[in-house]
Amino acid sequence: MNAFLSAAPEVALAAAVVLLLMVEVAFKPRPAAWGAIAGAGLAAATGFSAWQWAAYRGADAGVFWHQTIAVDGFAAFAGMLVFPLAALGLMSAWRLAVSQGRRGAEFVALVLLAATGAHLMAAAADLVVLFIGLEIFSISLYVLAGFTRERVDADEASLKYFLLGAFASAVFLYGVALVFAATGSTKIYGSGGIARYLAGTIIFRPGVLLAGLALLLAGMAFKVSAAPFHVWAPDVYQGAPGGITGFLAASAKVAGFAALARVLTAALGPRAADWVPAVAVLAAVSVVVGTLLAIVQDDVKRLLAYSSVAHAGFILTALVAGRGGLGDMWFYLATYAVQVLGAFTVAAAVSGDGAGRSPLRHWAGLGRRSPWLAATMTLLLLAMGGIPLTAGFAGKVAVFRAAIDAGYLWLVIVALLATVAGLYFYLRVIVAMYLSAPEEAEGLPCGPPVGWGARLVLAVASAATLVLGVAPWPLLDLLRHALPL
Amino acid sequence: MDFPILSVIVLLPAVGGLVVLALPRRRTELVLPVALALSLLTLGAACRLLASFEVGPAGFQFQEQVIWYEPWGVSYHLGVDGISLLMVLLTAFLFPIALLASTAITHRVKGYFASMLFLEAGILGVFVALDLLVFFAFWEVMLVPMYFIIGMWGGERRVYAAVKFFLFTALGSALMLAGILALALLAGDQLGRPTFDFVELLGIDLGRTAQFWMFGAFALSFGIKVPLFPLHTWLPDAHVEAPTAGSVILAGVLLKMGAYGLIRFNLTLFPEASVDLMPVLAALAVIGIIYGAVVATVQTDIKRLVAYSSVSHLGFVVLGIFALTTQGLQGGVVQMVNHGLTTGALFLLVGMIYERRHTRRIADYGGLATVMPVFAGIFLFISLGSIGLPPLNGFVGEFLVLLGAYLSLPGFAVAAVLGVVLAAVYLLWAYQRMFTGPITVEANRGLRDLGFREVVLLAPIVALVLLLGIFPKPALDRVGPAVQGILDRIEATTDYVVPQFGTEAGLPEAEVRP
Repeated sequence: MNAFLSAAPEVALAAAVVLLLMVEVAFKPRPAAWGAIAGAGLAAATGFSAWQWAAYRGADAGVFWHQTIAVDGFAAFAGMLVFPLAALGLMSAWRLAVSQGRRGAEFVALVLLAATGAHLMAAAADLVVLFIGLEIFSISLYVLAGFTRERVDADEASLKYFLLGAFASAVFLYGVALVFAATGSTKIYGSGGIARYLAGTIIFRPGVLLAGLALLLAGMAFKVSAAPFHVWAPDVYQGAPGGITGFLAASAKVAGFAALARVLTAALGPRAADWVPAVAVLAAVSVVVGTLLAIVQDDVKRLLAYSSVAHAGFILTALVAGRGGLGDMWFYLATYAVQVLGAFTVAAAVSGDGAGRSPLRHWAGLGRRSPWLAATMTLLLLAMGGIPLTAGFAGKVAVFRAAIDAGYLWLVIVALLATVAGLYFYLRVIVAMYLSAPEEAEGLPCGPPVGWGARLVLAVASAATLVLGVAPWPLLDLLRHALPL
Repeated sequence: MDFPILSVIVLLPAVGGLVVLALPRRRTELVLPVALALSLLTLGAACRLLASFEVGPAGFQFQEQVIWYEPWGVSYHLGVDGISLLMVLLTAFLFPIALLASTAITHRVKGYFASMLFLEAGILGVFVALDLLVFFAFWEVMLVPMYFIIGMWGGERRVYAAVKFFLFTALGSALMLAGILALALLAGDQLGRPTFDFVELLGIDLGRTAQFWMFGAFALSFGIKVPLFPLHTWLPDAHVEAPTAGSVILAGVLLKMGAYGLIRFNLTLFPEASVDLMPVLAALAVIGIIYGAVVATVQTDIKRLVAYSSVSHLGFVVLGIFALTTQGLQGGVVQMVNHGLTTGALFLLVGMIYERRHTRRIADYGGLATVMPVFAGIFLFISLGSIGLPPLNGFVGEFLVLLGAYLSLPGFAVAAVLGVVLAAVYLLWAYQRMFTGPITVEANRGLRDLGFREVVLLAPIVALVLLLGIFPKPALDRVGPAVQGILDRIEATTDYVVPQFGTEAGLPEAEVRP
C-alpha cells in the first residue's frame, strides 16, 4: 500500500474541512451545502477505511510514514466506526448547527476535525502522533461543548472540559516522555519500537517505565471517563448543547479506547502483567462509582453521563483479557457508542437541541406524548442495562466472557452486581416516561418536534441495537480480525 | 429434522405480539380476539406436542439445534422432556384464560395484550431452551413485559411493586450469568472448546468446589423466582399490585420457572452439591411451607392471602425436589402443575369479585354464597383442590411429595404436614368469612353471580383439577422417565443412594420384612 493511501481517511476529511471553510467564506452557501461537503468527506473517509479493512484485516499491520501510522484491521475498523458515527452525530445535531447561523459551518468543520483526530488516535503507531491525534480530537470537542456561548452552563462545561482535558493531555504526554526514557523510543512497532524493546529486554529497574505506564493509563482513562478520572463528564454532558452531547460521548469513548487498547496491547503488551491488574481495578472502580452516582441523579443527561462512566468500566473489563478481549471490546464499544448517541439524541428532542439540562420531569408521560420517542429510548435504555435481545446483552456477555477466561471472575461479579443496580436508574427513566401520573406531564409539549436527521439517527440506533442483539454473531466473527499487530 | 414444533410454539405468541402492535389504533375491539386466537393456536401446537410426545424413553425429544457461534459454543438448541412438556402445556393452557380474563383492561389495550403475548413467548422459551445462554436470554427478557404489565396496568403501588420485582429477579440472575459463563469456560478446558449446550455440559466433570459455587449462583436465581424463604419478599407486592391476569401468570407459570430451573439445572449439573445441600434446601422449603401458611392465615386482604399461600405451596414443590426420591420429584412436578391450576383459578376468582366490589378486604364480604352461589361453589371447589382434598389434584401432588420426603428426610416431611393442615385453616376460614352466614355489608346484596364468560374461563380449570385428581397417570407417566434420568445421574456421579420403599435408612432390609 502506498504511504499516501495509508493516511487517506485523514486526508479526505482534512480536505473536506478546508473546502467547507473556504466555500463558507467565499460563497456563504445554504446549510445544505455544509451537509453535502461533510457527507462527501465522511463517505470518502469511510470508504477508504473499508478498503483498508478489506486489504489488511487479519494480516500484519502495515506501518507507514516513518513508522508513525499503522494500517491494520484495528485502525480500519475504528475508521469504519468513527466516521459513520460522526455522520450520525452531525445528523443528530443538524438543527443545532443550522440554528447557529453562519457559525454553523464551523460547527460542522469541528465535528469533521474531531473525527479526523479520533481516527488518527486509533491509527497512530507512534506515541507522539497519538498525542497529536488526541489534541486534534480533544480541542475540537472542547469548542463543541461550549458552542452555544450565550448559555452560562455551556461555557462552564467547555471551560471545565478544557482545563481538565488539558491537564489530562499533559499527564499523558508526561507518560509518553517517561516511556521514551525507559525504552528509548516513542514508536510502537518496528525494530527499534517499544514493543520489540520490551519483549527482548529484561528491565531490572522498571520504575520509570511503570510510572510512564501509569501516567499513560491515567491520561487515557480521563478521555474515556473511567473513574476516578471521570469528574468532568457529568458537568460537560449536562452543560453541552443537547444536540452534540451524543457525539461527544460516543466519539470520546471510541477514540479513547482505540488508543488505549493499542498502547496497552501492542506497545506495552510484553508488560501485560503490570497493567492488567491496574486496568481491572480501574474497571471495577468505574463500574461501581458510575452506577452508584447515576442512581441519585435527577437529570437524564447527567444520569447518562454517570452511566457512561460505568460503561467505561464494562469496556475496560474486556481489556483485562489483553489481546484476546479486543474483539469483544470493539463489539461493546461499537454497540454502546450507537446506543449513547441515540439516547442523547432523544434527550435533545425532549429538552431542546440547544439546552443543557434535561431534568427527569421533562420526561414525564413521554410514552403518551410521543410514543415512538419513548419506545426508542426504552429500547436504548434496556440495551444499556444489558437486557437480552438487545446488543447491550450480547456486548456484556462478550466482555464478561473474556474477563472470566482471563481469570478475573471477581471483576465480572462486581460488574454484574453493578449491572443490576444500573437497571434501577434506567428503569427510573422508563417509569417517568410510562408510569408517571398524567398530571405530572401537564404543561409539557405534546409530541416534541424531532428533526429528520434525529429520526434517522434513532432509526439506525434502534435497528442496530435490535439486530445485533438478536444476531450478534456475524459482527463478533468479523471483529476477531480487528487486532493490532 | 422434521417440523420444528418447539420453535413454532415459542414464535407463535411473539408473532402474535407483533401483530397486535401492528393493529390500527382505533380498532381496539380487534385486539382481544386476535391475541386470544394466537394464544389458542399456541395451545393447539402444544397439544400436538403432547400427542406426539413419546412416553417411555428418557432424554429430550423434538430437539432442534443450530450452531450460532462456534467460538463461544452457543447454539440454538431446543428440546423437551416430560417435565418441560408439562410446563409448556400449563403455560399454553393458562395464557388464553388469562387473556380472556383481561376485559377489565381499558387503557393502552394494544400494549397490554402485546406484552402478555411477548411474556408467553419468553416463558415458553425458558421451558424449551437447552442452551444455557439461550435459556438465560429468555429468562431475563421475560422480565420486561412482566415489568410493564405490573407497572402500567397494576394497582396503586404498582411502580414500587414492578421495580421491586424487576430488581429482585435481575439480582438473582446476575450471579447465574456469571455461573453460566464460568461453566461454559470450564467445559472449554475439558472438551477443548467452550459450550453452553446443556446436554454436552452433562458430560463434564466439575470439581466439588466449583459445583458448590455454581449451585449457589443458580439456586439464588431460581430461589428468588420460586420464591424460596427468605427470598420471597417481592412476591406479595408483585401479586397484589399486578392486574388479575398478571397475577394468574405470575403464580401459575412464572414461579414454576424457578422450580423448573432447580430441577433442570441444579440437580443435574451439580449433583454432588445437590446431595450435600439437600437438607439446607429442604429446611428452607419447610420454613417456607409453614411461614407462608401462617402469614396467609392472618391476612386481611384476600389477594395477599392467596399470594402467601403460593409461598407455602411452592415450599412443597421444593421439598419434593430436594427430597431426591422418585416420588418426591414426581410429586414436585405434579404439584407445580396443580398449583398453577388452583392458584391461577383463585386469582381469577379474586379478580372477578374485585371487579364487582373494588375491594379485596375479606372483612368487606360475608354471606356471598346467598347472592353468588355459582361463584361460591367454584371458590370452594378450587380451595379444596388447593388444600389437597382427595380426589382433587392437590392431593396427588402433596401426597407424593410427603411420601418422597418421608423416605429421605422423615423429620422434614412430618413438619411439612403441618402446612397441609394450615392450608385448610387459611382457605376454609377465608371461605367462611367471605361466603357463609348472613350478608353483613349492604353493598354486597345486589352482586351479580358469574356470567357466561367467567364460567367459560373457569370451567376448563375445574375440569382439569378434577381430572388430575382422579386420573393423574398420564402426567406421572410422562414425568417418570425424566425424573428417573435425573436420579440415575445423581446416583451415578455421587455415592448417594435413592431411598426406595422398604429400604428405610437405619433399618436393615431383613428387619422390615416379616
